[in-house]
Amino acid sequence: MSAEQDILQELAGRDYEFGFETDIEMDIAPPGLNEDIIRFISAKKNEPEWLLEWRLKGFQLFQKLAMPTWQNFKLPEVDFQSVSYYAAPKNKVKYESLDEVDPELLRTFEKLGIPLEEQKMLSGVAVDAVFDSVSVATTFKKQLNELGIIFCSFTEAVQEHPELLRKYLGTVVPQSDNIYAALNCAVFSDGSFVYIPKGVRCPMELSTYFRINAKNTGQFERTLIVADEGSYVSYLEGCTAPMRDENQLHAAVVELIAMDNAEIKYSTVQNWYPGDADGKGGIYNFVTKRGICKGKNSKISWTQVETGSAITWKYPGVILQGDNSIGEFYSVAVTSKRQVADTGTKMVHIGKNTRSRIISKGISAIHGQNTYRGLVKVGPNATNARNFTQCDSLLIGDRCGAHTFPYIESKNNTAMVEHEATTSKIGEDQVFYLNQRGIDSEQAVNMIVNGYAKEVLNQLPMEFAVEAQKLLSITLEGSVG
Amino acid sequence: MTTIASNIPSLYDTLPAQFSTLTAGAQWPEARKEAFDRFQALGGFPTVKVEDWKYTNVIPFFRSLQTLQLPAPIAITEAQLEATGLLLPDVYRIVLLNGELQPQLSELPPAKQATVLKMSEAAAEPAFTAHFNNSQKLAEHHFAQLNTAFFTNGLFIEAKAKAQVEKPLHIIHLYHNTSSLLVNPRHLWVAQEGASIQIIESAAGLDGSGTMVVNSVVEAVTTERSQMSHYQLQTGGGQLRFINQTLVQQRGKSLYNNYTFTLSESELVRNNLNISLDDERTETHLFGFYIATGNQLVDNHTSVDHRMPNCESNELYRGVLMDKATGVFNGKIYVHEDAQKTNAFQQNNNLVISPEANIYTKPQLEIFADDVKCSHGTTIGQVSEEALFYLKARGIGDAMARSMLVKAFAFDITAQVKIPAVRKQVEQLATRYLSAAVNN
Repeated sequence: MSAEQDILQELAGRDYEFGFETDIEMDIAPPGLNEDIIRFISAKKNEPEWLLEWRLKGFQLFQKLAMPTWQNFKLPEVDFQSVSYYAAPKNKVKYESLDEVDPELLRTFEKLGIPLEEQKMLSGVAVDAVFDSVSVATTFKKQLNELGIIFCSFTEAVQEHPELLRKYLGTVVPQSDNIYAALNCAVFSDGSFVYIPKGVRCPMELSTYFRINAKNTGQFERTLIVADEGSYVSYLEGCTAPMRDENQLHAAVVELIAMDNAEIKYSTVQNWYPGDADGKGGIYNFVTKRGICKGKNSKISWTQVETGSAITWKYPGVILQGDNSIGEFYSVAVTSKRQVADTGTKMVHIGKNTRSRIISKGISAIHGQNTYRGLVKVGPNATNARNFTQCDSLLIGDRCGAHTFPYIESKNNTAMVEHEATTSKIGEDQVFYLNQRGIDSEQAVNMIVNGYAKEVLNQLPMEFAVEAQKLLSITLEGSVG
Repeated sequence: MTTIASNIPSLYDTLPAQFSTLTAGAQWPEARKEAFDRFQALGGFPTVKVEDWKYTNVIPFFRSLQTLQLPAPIAITEAQLEATGLLLPDVYRIVLLNGELQPQLSELPPAKQATVLKMSEAAAEPAFTAHFNNSQKLAEHHFAQLNTAFFTNGLFIEAKAKAQVEKPLHIIHLYHNTSSLLVNPRHLWVAQEGASIQIIESAAGLDGSGTMVVNSVVEAVTTERSQMSHYQLQTGGGQLRFINQTLVQQRGKSLYNNYTFTLSESELVRNNLNISLDDERTETHLFGFYIATGNQLVDNHTSVDHRMPNCESNELYRGVLMDKATGVFNGKIYVHEDAQKTNAFQQNNNLVISPEANIYTKPQLEIFADDVKCSHGTTIGQVSEEALFYLKARGIGDAMARSMLVKAFAFDITAQVKIPAVRKQVEQLATRYLSAAVNN
């Protein structure tokens, strides 16, 4: 009895551990994930009540949802409580000059042909005052404003365009979609918001690259792109240069919405740190990307070149709701060293005369494991739906793997669905042929790989395509001979 | 693992009691016990949450079942056999009733070519002890475990070393029930070194009452340089539902051909065909053809496991889906690290005739070796309007033209059949189903 009393006494006397003082002046939230942290993030960003509620709902779902078990790799355990979910955006300066930076990294920059100032920025060196990326970005911003295009950070959008945000946020990727999407809903830090008004053709490739240079957006990004009737936009994400990043887990969400006759082209080049030769320390890239062709004759096209990250796990998909809408997916995924990619797409045909096209090129080298996982679903009302899928795998070395899991579900007898897949290696005779013409083996392999991936690389905007080609060569370095 | 114990209270809950009464004093008690434990550990009957059963919900089919107790045997007349319409000329006819050999209706091959025994009498055979319950893949299948636990009887066939079994063995599976029943036949077929054998299976249900789920397991082993051709003619009437496990282990330089033709009225047909290539230079051909009508669900899950170098596998499955039928195809090719120089091909084509038919197909490749040639393809489509127009322009009527095109699609597969009588029977059956569809 008395022992019980003692415990009660002790408990009563203790400070309330779970309380959390919201200190707006703080720059970094303490590690841990709970409702208070979410309130803190929301307050810090001065968000309206509905968004806070929305975040909290996401958190509840995150607690409820189970970790997936179907993926074709061993899911590393992530300790969600050890992560700090908010850090004030500021330029981190790690080195005083480029001389201190890892020479290996500099060599890669050189091969990619990245300007000196950008090299500094990417590797975290203090940037000269001369190089002002912010001013570059603002020039573009003015031009876009004249057309009525909204292109801003998510935080800005919350303040300036809450009505648009509220209308579209979470309509393509529901909060309950998967556990990482739910987590993103709860703690998303920032991201981009794009709105293209009716009938406007965006005059330039929108890129987060410029914006990220100005501001570090962190690991839980959220992108929302809305293309209103008859508009067109091409959006580039990522960057070919290896990004220095301390956050291991990246769980972004991207939502695309295309209205009648609108077209969205979304290109990704991802080259995050893949970890060392034993696979230690790489980035986990767990992203939920989905677009909806809401209107008639709309089109969404995903292009991705995935060369980085220890684990790439994402399935950019398209819901083809509007009649005559088109969904496309072009992908090159390279896994080398101990990298893992489990990627592919979902094409959900709902409207009539909808078409989808999937071209996936996987390249595995050394110990890399590459999985294509896709779903083509034709609903009962999707008359005359048409799909073509091609997924090819290229194996370099005898300890890597290529896997294909294409799910095809058709509930309509007018659907035409085709799927084909091949697996092959780089032929010795092909390399020999090139050797004979004075091209060394490594270069020969690069040529063959680039030829193999050409169909996808051609989809990228020109500057990106050139860099992506170089990137493939660099990623495959050391896999031959 | 997902348990659905509560979904089938009447059957699943009674299984432990039925297990202790039905298998009391039965042969191979350890194997049965182990399998039953494993079945329970796997979660009992698989739900759609289990990846391999994602599109095939077996629960409703088991809900009405009560027992695993076979009814008292009945006498079967020659006339009853005739009436099934399945008899083939020039074969060794072997008749089974609920998995039990009927010697009076059967003609066995000469003993120097092949041994044919009831499983219950084969325990002393060296080939039996070497291969019975030996397939590693058994452990993966819920229903194979259930079968091992409860199986009643079946056929042990051993083609003797270097023997060329002259005529095909035609096994006619007859099923009879007086109440809703789950029956578990079990077979073991071995082709010894250099032997060659052809086995044809047909099935028919006799008049009875209630429904019947046939959960059968065939373990087949082809040893060095042997050849086995295996025809599964899945015929049979409306009261039958089939869950088949065919587990094949191939040794060096052997050849295994499988022909699976599903032309039945049964509401559920699920085939699990597993081929394990355990040695070098084997050759495997899998051909499948299915027609699904009414509310039928035809599900083919095949897997080819390339474990060793220099093996070749070739798979071609085609299906025609009508009415509200559902077709499922899951083809898996697994190439292990050591299986260099593998040549694997897989194709699945589906012709969807009715607006309400569904098809789920998943050709799956898992490849860990680099010096391989693997490809797969799958299509879903309908009769080409262009081809139809071409025929019509030549004065052929719509129905006739359609029928020609559908048949051309289907008979690509039946053309692979090496036994003329089997081909004729299959094509006749197919024509019967197809003409019904085309004339609609």
